Amino acid sequence: MSTSTPAPAPARPPRPVRSQLRRVAPLLLLALGVGALLTARGMGLGELTAPGPGLWPAIVAALLTGTAAALLFLDPAEDYESWTVGTARIVAGLAGLALFVVLFDTIGFVVPAALLLFAWLRWLAGESWRMALVLAVAGALVLHLVFVVALGVPFPAGPVDQLLGG
Amino acid sequence: MGITDGILQGFSVALDPVNLLYVFAGVLIGTVIGVLPGLGPTATIALLLPLTYSIEPATAVILLAGIYYGSMYGGTITSVLLRLPGEAASVVTTFDGYQMAKQGRAGPALGIAAVGSFVGGTLSVVGLALLAPPLADLAVSFGPPEYVALTALGILLVTYLGSGTPLKSLAMAAVGLLLATVGQDPITGTTRFTFGSVQLFDGVDFVAVAMGLFGVGEILHSLERTEKVQAVTQRIKNIWPSRQDFRDSSGAIARGSVLGFVIGVLPGGGGVISSLASYALEKRRAKDPTRFGKGAIEGVAGPETANNASSTSAFIPLLTLGIPANVVLALIFGALLVQGITPGPQLISEEPEIFWGVIASMVVGNLMLLALNIPLVGVFVQLLRVRAGILAAFALLVTMAGVFSINNDSFDMWVVLVFGLVGWLMKKTGFEPGPLVLAFVLGEIMERAFRQSMLISGGSLDVFVTRPLSGGLFAVMALVVVVSLVTARRRRAAFRHVDPEGESDPATDPATEPAPEPRRTADTDVPSAPGER
Repeated sequence: MSTSTPAPAPARPPRPVRSQLRRVAPLLLLALGVGALLTARGMGLGELTAPGPGLWPAIVAALLTGTAAALLFLDPAEDYESWTVGTARIVAGLAGLALFVVLFDTIGFVVPAALLLFAWLRWLAGESWRMALVLAVAGALVLHLVFVVALGVPFPAGPVDQLLGG
Repeated sequence: MGITDGILQGFSVALDPVNLLYVFAGVLIGTVIGVLPGLGPTATIALLLPLTYSIEPATAVILLAGIYYGSMYGGTITSVLLRLPGEAASVVTTFDGYQMAKQGRAGPALGIAAVGSFVGGTLSVVGLALLAPPLADLAVSFGPPEYVALTALGILLVTYLGSGTPLKSLAMAAVGLLLATVGQDPITGTTRFTFGSVQLFDGVDFVAVAMGLFGVGEILHSLERTEKVQAVTQRIKNIWPSRQDFRDSSGAIARGSVLGFVIGVLPGGGGVISSLASYALEKRRAKDPTRFGKGAIEGVAGPETANNASSTSAFIPLLTLGIPANVVLALIFGALLVQGITPGPQLISEEPEIFWGVIASMVVGNLMLLALNIPLVGVFVQLLRVRAGILAAFALLVTMAGVFSINNDSFDMWVVLVFGLVGWLMKKTGFEPGPLVLAFVLGEIMERAFRQSMLISGGSLDVFVTRPLSGGLFAVMALVVVVSLVTARRRRAAFRHVDPEGESDPATDPATEPAPEPRRTADTDVPSAPGER
């Protein structure tokens, strides 16, 4: 927002690959809109005097379809951030979170939480091994105390969780 | 009930020990996250939504409101000291605040910001107490067509006044409205877009969506652009501004209060626009505009006052019409809905303890902030040492545990994860999550009002135009669309105009001056600063 940050995107011409790739976003929205429109029609539109369950969704889906179609042509390229090395790390982080949810359902909170914190702190945040280990174990235990013991949230009980009580 | 009775009742609610504790917690959390890198008010409120389930409705709103205006204070600290706006509304504060800090006047800059925020917030509370009840009385006469018009106006203004490309924001609003239709049809009971999943019968959980889009999405996005934050070494002295400082900035504070109040009431208003507008106003009024960008105290006092005033007055449309003016208010709206309270014209008469309690708590909260900020600035600055990566890891884990606790169902964790991914991708591709969430919240009200209108009118769409109020509102909408199309280019130029020329020369000291990158707090309306994306 200051003069010291010149607009990065418009300054250099966007690479052709990226400029085509970014059309994926409006296309996805368009597909969503058309899909919703068809589904809504299947639900029964009814009349304006007696609207069916599909009427309002159809109106909204039409709005989405219209705006998405317009975006195919009008979308400014500088809105798009480029993909960086950081992107891969974020994807890895998301995968880690997904794994956490799966483990959470099977072996309870404490162990997956400590694992998630450790992996995240060590590899995504770049903390030292010791720092990551200490923070992960302490963090998982504190959160267990807060959520299970203090707030009484019924997390799926795993072996370690039962040991800790709650 | 008269205003005096209301205020008395309000203070009896606000001064209740439990509520006092929550006001304090709110403003403290707000200040802290305003300072902390990578967490804005929207993300924080989204993360804390599950917590509000177990507390009284009035207390919940008091807490969330405290976080909102508290973050306005906190964001100032990093803007002034490091030229890093802690949240979007403080971007303009970096222009003159950081220059003041470079001249060794960081103390007065922070002091005048705190005083200005206090004055702006307090005057705005008075305005809220005076204006809201008559507005609610008027709104009681609204019928379904008016509600269709009002919700449509709210969504439209948020898409137009927001930061993103209006067309993209409109597309996101459409997605939000569509998302609101998932689940059972409120009238016929038919299931819609559930794809056979039992968990979707009741629709998508608002809290899970908000936590995913704002909480997880924001954290991931800010984590990707790791900022190096340098520690503040200089000691801050003379926080309390001198008499000369007060004389210089009293006009700016007065104008900022009024400007912020007015802008905050408008749907789509809120912090960012009001602080930009105040800066532009002060610069235009100044006898010597070249001082701006070189440490003019008015350039700190005005915008800081305005953003706090607007964050208070933004509660007016929510508490009187049931229309959230921006995303933070949409989250608070969602918190109330979860409690079984639908904010609207009846709120003041049916739930007076919420309305007046929240108002009184704002007075208390602003006092607390003033008391907290003047002596404790040095402590808050130390928070900058917390590394963003550690913060993110813990925030994500708390999010996951928190969202599970809503329904004790791990399905919601997947919803958060999916919407976190979507929110991050939206940030990457310039789609704003704000309009989506706002439309999602308003979608159900809008659909019901639309269908009721159709029943009233016997299926004629004329009903929206022929009734004076809804017709007027639709006329306003048409005007907004036309004006925004005409002035689309000029608006960008206006934002640029606010930029002080020659505020810094990156060639001379690039190392010591990190570029002010507003951590996008999706606070409704991070204005697309030219060149920010």
